[in-house]
Amino acid sequence: MAKRIGVDIGGTFTDLLFYDDKTNSYIVEKVPTVPDHPEQGCLNAISASVPNDLLKETEYFLHGTTVGINALLERKGSKVGLLATKGFRDVLEIRRGDRAEMYNLIWTPPAPIVPRHLRLPVTERMLADGKIHMELNEDDVRQALETFNKEGVDSIAITYLNAYVNPEHELRSEAILRDAGFTGAISVSHQVSGEHREYERTTTTVVDAFVRNRMRGYMQALEEDLRIQSFSGQCLITRSGSGCMTFSEAEERPFETIMSGPVAGAEGAGELARALKLGDIITADVGGTSFDTCLIIDGRPQLLYQGNVIGLPLQTPWVDVRSIGAGGGSIAHVDAGGLLKVGPQSAGSVPGPACYSRGGEEPTVTDAAFFLGMLGEGKLASGVKLDNEKAEKAISKVATQLEMGKEECARGIIRIACASMSETIREITIEQGNDPRSMSLLAFGGAGPLLASIMAEELDITNIIIPPYAGNFSAWGLLGADLLRASARSHIMPVNDENLAYGNTILNELFADLESRESDNNSANWRKEVAVDMRYRGQEHSVSISPPIKNGQIDSSAEELARIFMDAYESSFGGTLEATTEIVSLRATLRQSLPARKYARADYTESKTEKAKSLKAFSFHKGEWQDFKLYSRAVLESGKTCEGPAIVTEQTTTIYIDSNDSFSSANNGCLLIKRG
Amino acid sequence: MDDKVKEIEIYKAGRGEHSGIKDKDPVTTEIVRNALNSAANQMKRTLVRASFSPVVYEVLDFAVALYDKEIRLLSQAPSLPIFMATMSFCIEAAVEGVGGEENLEPGDVILYNLPYGTGSHAQDAAIVMPVFLDDGLTLVGYATNKAHWMDIAAKEPYCTDTTDIFQEGVIFPGVKLYSKGEKVRDIFKMVEANSRMPVGVLGDINAQIASVRVGAKELLRVVNRFGKETFEYSVERMFDAGELVIRKYFENIDDGRYVGHGVMDDNGVDTDLIEFDVIVEVDGSTVRMDYSSAPDVQRGPINCPLPSTVSASRVAITMLAGAGEPPNEGHLRSVEVITRPGSMFHPLPPAPCYLYGWSAISAMEGIYEALAKAVPTDVPAGSAADICAVLVWGSKDKKYGEPWFGGSPFPMGQGGFAKGDGDTMIHVAEAAARFPPVEVWEALYPWIFEKFELRQDSAGAGEHRGGLGLDIVYEVLEDFSLISTVERTKVPGWAAQGGKQGMTNGVTITYPDGKQKKIGKITGLQLPKGSKIAIHCGGGGGYGDPKERTPELVERDLKEGYISESFAKENYTFP
Repeated sequence: MAKRIGVDIGGTFTDLLFYDDKTNSYIVEKVPTVPDHPEQGCLNAISASVPNDLLKETEYFLHGTTVGINALLERKGSKVGLLATKGFRDVLEIRRGDRAEMYNLIWTPPAPIVPRHLRLPVTERMLADGKIHMELNEDDVRQALETFNKEGVDSIAITYLNAYVNPEHELRSEAILRDAGFTGAISVSHQVSGEHREYERTTTTVVDAFVRNRMRGYMQALEEDLRIQSFSGQCLITRSGSGCMTFSEAEERPFETIMSGPVAGAEGAGELARALKLGDIITADVGGTSFDTCLIIDGRPQLLYQGNVIGLPLQTPWVDVRSIGAGGGSIAHVDAGGLLKVGPQSAGSVPGPACYSRGGEEPTVTDAAFFLGMLGEGKLASGVKLDNEKAEKAISKVATQLEMGKEECARGIIRIACASMSETIREITIEQGNDPRSMSLLAFGGAGPLLASIMAEELDITNIIIPPYAGNFSAWGLLGADLLRASARSHIMPVNDENLAYGNTILNELFADLESRESDNNSANWRKEVAVDMRYRGQEHSVSISPPIKNGQIDSSAEELARIFMDAYESSFGGTLEATTEIVSLRATLRQSLPARKYARADYTESKTEKAKSLKAFSFHKGEWQDFKLYSRAVLESGKTCEGPAIVTEQTTTIYIDSNDSFSSANNGCLLIKRG
Repeated sequence: MDDKVKEIEIYKAGRGEHSGIKDKDPVTTEIVRNALNSAANQMKRTLVRASFSPVVYEVLDFAVALYDKEIRLLSQAPSLPIFMATMSFCIEAAVEGVGGEENLEPGDVILYNLPYGTGSHAQDAAIVMPVFLDDGLTLVGYATNKAHWMDIAAKEPYCTDTTDIFQEGVIFPGVKLYSKGEKVRDIFKMVEANSRMPVGVLGDINAQIASVRVGAKELLRVVNRFGKETFEYSVERMFDAGELVIRKYFENIDDGRYVGHGVMDDNGVDTDLIEFDVIVEVDGSTVRMDYSSAPDVQRGPINCPLPSTVSASRVAITMLAGAGEPPNEGHLRSVEVITRPGSMFHPLPPAPCYLYGWSAISAMEGIYEALAKAVPTDVPAGSAADICAVLVWGSKDKKYGEPWFGGSPFPMGQGGFAKGDGDTMIHVAEAAARFPPVEVWEALYPWIFEKFELRQDSAGAGEHRGGLGLDIVYEVLEDFSLISTVERTKVPGWAAQGGKQGMTNGVTITYPDGKQKKIGKITGLQLPKGSKIAIHCGGGGGYGDPKERTPELVERDLKEGYISESFAKENYTFP
């Protein structure tokens, strides 16, 4: 066990959780994010809540941040120069020719990150089998550098065609740039991504080059500030593909952290599922503007190997979290055809929902929920009291347009929001061959516990779990992240014993590279994991499987490997095909767990008051207003089952429990709701 | 005149009338609408992930959709627009092919590919699955898709010179692939025996079947969840809402007859330029597209069967006026299409139709040219009006033992528009399509790419210039056959509001001895190994007077190499 701090910086709030191993207690803090200096918001959260003597003893600082993604969104990053194979410098601009919004006649893609005059051609050519077709013209590289220097380029990306098979020319070019005195950052495509597809690999490499200096500056400044505050432990940052990495490794591979936003919550869900044996789980993370959902199968979030950030494909592992623009702040409106719509526009934190009395006039999901009594008395931890009149006024604007009653309209807003969230859950479960009814729903985020009961009814799910610190659950998830390093290489070959041996050679090389990334004193603690992307010959899309391994080597025959693939294929697609199987890519991962933490309930305080209050709220199950009992989560006695309807409040969220549900607080800190 | 009137047919593009049901529950309607769109997305994912051919999983040369029992569009997933709007015809024809609705059974899966019914060529095969309630008796709708097969025994794997339908592939005029859930093996054997690439085609059929089954299951779930009555009520309400969106758009446009012009290089067999008018009539909230003055059926395969003529019209209108939402049957109700049976936009059997898609693209360009006169700020200038597809194939593939076949639609210049320059993208008729990565292609086929670059000076000048075209060059390493469908090599796309036209499309072949040859549409050209193919994708039309373009933008275009100095001097205010 070890003391640790998790700080998750979101668009609106910076959340902190501190875990004290001695007392098995947590400190919770929420402060406003400081957009221009996010590290300042982070330090504010720490100094507001964690006493200095505790900070001194803290071993890990775990961090989730939107600095990288914001650099991309705002296009504030390095001036990048790109070296490309002659004839292919426009890959970045031509993309794959498609339109992101197909029903929009005048959609145009965002401008490429590197403008054309900084994308310079280099004479060289590798073939798909790794043979050199044209030697590298070293003068092209030197001349390009002259242009880059003249233009003030401070970061260079190198992506040559087929370099994923043979990186010789990329490596040589990097050496030439260094010999010629370039001291800025260099991102080399085969190191950033060992996978094929030139547009996707180029984008990934360019994004890496673009955010590198900013991320490095940010992490160095933050670490320095922490040291000044007498923190002497290790600084870790979450990866888009789950787990975390040290700051110094992230400085070399910043693109691996770029989509880490919704990951910490999924990671926390995985940790809970493993530790408490909760079975397979669907997460429902409802924030102010978005809804994120993810599947936890066998205690792990599902991974994808290509993501998409603001329209840019990135070849890096990322947790398969699906997002839609529906959250507590989503605005209800009437469309051109006269139908009620909810989102994707959001009232955000400013002006926020109408009932927050901060100037918002549009009706949001939160307004509808409060109007229907689902938020209880509407007293927030910050002392703000929600304003029912303002909520009502906002809702009546839309209700009038639709010629319906205010209450009916409010119910409609909640139903539509929950239905689109449930559809997203259906898509993610069914497409992977899972039946949502056999899984539990883990709800967190500011508005997740509010809507979980209605979503579960929609999906016919029986068990709902509200984790500890549900409103700050992303920060909670940070505290249990594993250290991870991952690498992959594409090599397409039919499955036979000879090729399997070659695959093991590739894995050896990948692991050797991972181990050499950063020297550390506890290298013996690394566990090796292997995944293989496989497909039927002729297909393009592959299925990733985890074969049995022994010391980082695949420990099965070719025939067994093919069988594992076919079983996975069948569970996804409902059948197998009579075709040869192929290996597409090999993936190596090193994993190391942080010291374990306890899962005992930390928040229980014995109730001083005798009887629970109650108030009127709308029951979606019964379709009528009912008396809901009001509880504070901290006073619920462990193991005691209570009957709904009820509203349970805690510091950062409100739990709505419908009339058909029963609930109990478990010893491990979770609140369990059972429908029916 | 009277004779002419009798010859035409008016097709109402959307079925049913405005129900006008006073809305008691717009909430359930919206929930049903979302659920149906989600079901269509599931169908699409299943097809993409299980398919065998790049043309399906990369190019997205397919459509998936759900229809109600009256064959009215419930939902579709973003895929190939020009396919998407033909699916109602496919279901109608497939059901008729098996003897009508009374011959449908739960578990049936129908295959249909007759071009006059699908709107496409025979390689585009429609799969239709009727969806029944659990009682096994009550039909509630259809799950359907149409996807491009790699080969079904046309005279070549792709054709530009057919003179009747029988040269274009084997016809399955509505046959059951599954009957009451039982596989009809004979049909699969027929498919296998009639394809040069049977492994890929059978793989894709299985993916198509998996996709309609997912769609059927999901549609049934939605109906059961809300109950048949509520479902039907919500669907009517959803159609009404869609209808209103389009009607409101056209009500705000001045009534009138706006004329657009279509041009094609030739009909594939003869050499004459093909020209036609599309007259777009705005009449209150109705928009009518009149193709009746188009030339008679052509000897070559550019004839566009009625379903695709209607599809081009549906797509053009919903993309412009549909407020960015996925359309349903309601969106189509204010759209009417006038054709003349026996003309190239309403060919009758046995007219060849292989290149129907290019006529559909030309029709869409014509519709937008016409509407630019009514709503100049909503419509971009013309594109290079093609997909610049050259297909090469060889007889032996060392790895797979089947013929290899490489090619794809490519991006070309899009037109400038009121608020900005055009970009380089695949034609809006194939809006979601993507071309495969060179690295994937080179790992599969015996060819090496030399160039894949923006083409300097190819874009039409304008206050907002067109998008640039491309230069794509590759060398083939073994003897091979070539098919080029490249269109618009003679006349560039149209420019708008005083802009200039861009460069045309073109293909140049360089033989190993250095001799060169320019081609347009051609089939079965035998070439020796070492030949190089250069595809020149054209530029988009400019929007607005070039003299109005700001000097900063001209400077930038020069710095980026989008234009040369001489082009700048010739077209813009430039020192």
